[in-house]
Amino acid sequence: MPKATQYKTNSVIYFQGDVGDKIFILKAGKVLSKSNDIETKEEINELVAPGEFFGVKSALGRYPRDESAIVLADSEVLVFSVPEFEQLVLANTRIIMKMLKVFSNQLRRMHGKVQNLIGKGTSKDPEAGLFSIGEYYFTNRQYKAAVHALTRYLTLYPGGRYAVEASDLARKAGQGVAKVDSTALFAAAGAVDDEPDFSPPTPAAAPAPTPQAGPADPLAAKGFFEAVALANQEKYLDAYKIFQKIVATNADPEHSAKSEFEMGRCLVFLGKFDEATKHLTALIQKYPRHPDLKDALYFIGRSYQGKNDFTWARNFYTKILNLAAEDEPVAVKTRKALKELEGAKV
Amino acid sequence: MSLDLSVFNRFAITKRAGEIIFCEFEPGDAFYLIQSGKVKIVKIVGDLEKTLDILNPGEFFGEMALLEEAPRSATIIALTDVKLLEFNRANFEVLMAGQPQIVLNLLKLFAKRIYDQKRRFMVLTLDDIQARVADVFLMLDENGPRPTDPTDNSRTFPNSVEDIAHWAGLSVAKASEVLKQFVNQRRVEIQQGKIIVKNIMDFNRFVKSKRQE
Repeated sequence: MPKATQYKTNSVIYFQGDVGDKIFILKAGKVLSKSNDIETKEEINELVAPGEFFGVKSALGRYPRDESAIVLADSEVLVFSVPEFEQLVLANTRIIMKMLKVFSNQLRRMHGKVQNLIGKGTSKDPEAGLFSIGEYYFTNRQYKAAVHALTRYLTLYPGGRYAVEASDLARKAGQGVAKVDSTALFAAAGAVDDEPDFSPPTPAAAPAPTPQAGPADPLAAKGFFEAVALANQEKYLDAYKIFQKIVATNADPEHSAKSEFEMGRCLVFLGKFDEATKHLTALIQKYPRHPDLKDALYFIGRSYQGKNDFTWARNFYTKILNLAAEDEPVAVKTRKALKELEGAKV
Repeated sequence: MSLDLSVFNRFAITKRAGEIIFCEFEPGDAFYLIQSGKVKIVKIVGDLEKTLDILNPGEFFGEMALLEEAPRSATIIALTDVKLLEFNRANFEVLMAGQPQIVLNLLKLFAKRIYDQKRRFMVLTLDDIQARVADVFLMLDENGPRPTDPTDNSRTFPNSVEDIAHWAGLSVAKASEVLKQFVNQRRVEIQQGKIIVKNIMDFNRFVKSKRQE
């Protein structure tokens, strides 16, 4: 039980620099808290308000007292041990919240002062800083870390100063991850327990657009880049689920369309060829001018090839070569696939 | 941990060894409590990844996010597979209502952080750079384990010259110059991976006299 203690005028409850494990509440009277400003050394005198705790921080951490507590007029003070104090505040959590606010303010101020002294915070802006971390891990071949940092960068700064470099590095790092431990990652992707719904999303099934729907919903962009990173790590199932969510939410038309394409791509890699064909065909009908149209055709071709339907595969591949310029990446991929088909026939 | 945290399972996340939990410079909006496993706090300084600390179950990180959504000041990487509870300002109230003991621990952590920052401030405001380096050792000694023999005034620190420079807010060149002077005065010995202060009380008196000037 906390003890009520009487203090006479001009007595001292504790001195600055003392180490003590008691916490106090002023019940009645007048107590002065006397300390020195850490920077200017100027004396700070504050009266303790009745009902207010004092000596909390130093007692909780067993640190030297920051201030002296001097009795200006006869006072009654409740004295708590740390366990008694804990018992009291656990039953009155409002007190903890209030103190947390006071402490966090002090911490922020102290932190700021220290940062000022060491001249930090001005040297690097967060955008450049985050990119440089991705770059560091990429250079040091820690690809997983690089993918994480760069994906975060792209999520936070989709149109940022280093966005082009970042997405390029993220892609390369993703390939690096795949090379380093594709088997482990694939096992991880396969370990996902809940089976996602592979049926193509129907417009009727899609929930109403969210109220914050806008042309560039940052959440959609965030999810999109995260999912692309997952796909880069061959976590197609996880990626598929996120793309599916983006399409269902339909918060941002641009990322929805891109995600619909990515869903098809994931299905191909997951070996769900029938669903992939259906999904990508619906996509092309829905978006005849989809930016990834040729790639969508390519993946339809891949699906037919996967089902050993070489005739249809060839039809699609040929169509792509008619549409695409000679040196487009999709044309290069397609010619390679056609060669594979020739090999299969022999 | 002895606390029953099963009610917070919906805030639980798991990370595999080597995965980043958050990166330095990312905006912070959540703080974490380690349930199982270990994480390391790292910072990339120049072209080196420096481990600042290793945290164990029951410890928090990212708690500054509760104050402000300032950029993270370090990167956190899972050292082993880890299970974490993730809290943000929105679900903090849930934590408070369900498990006030954790919030009380957080309060204690804040008390410690404030003290640490003040102590650091005191080191950095010493004008005499010899005293500043000496005070870094005093600070590290205060945070380190108590000596088994209280009459033994020699202290061994598992720190590098770079660490000392970091805490003293000096360039590595400047810090090693000061340390060299201490070595010449036979007050300090530098060995592979550790620095030995021959008499910590001597440093204590030295810093005190400089602080009073």
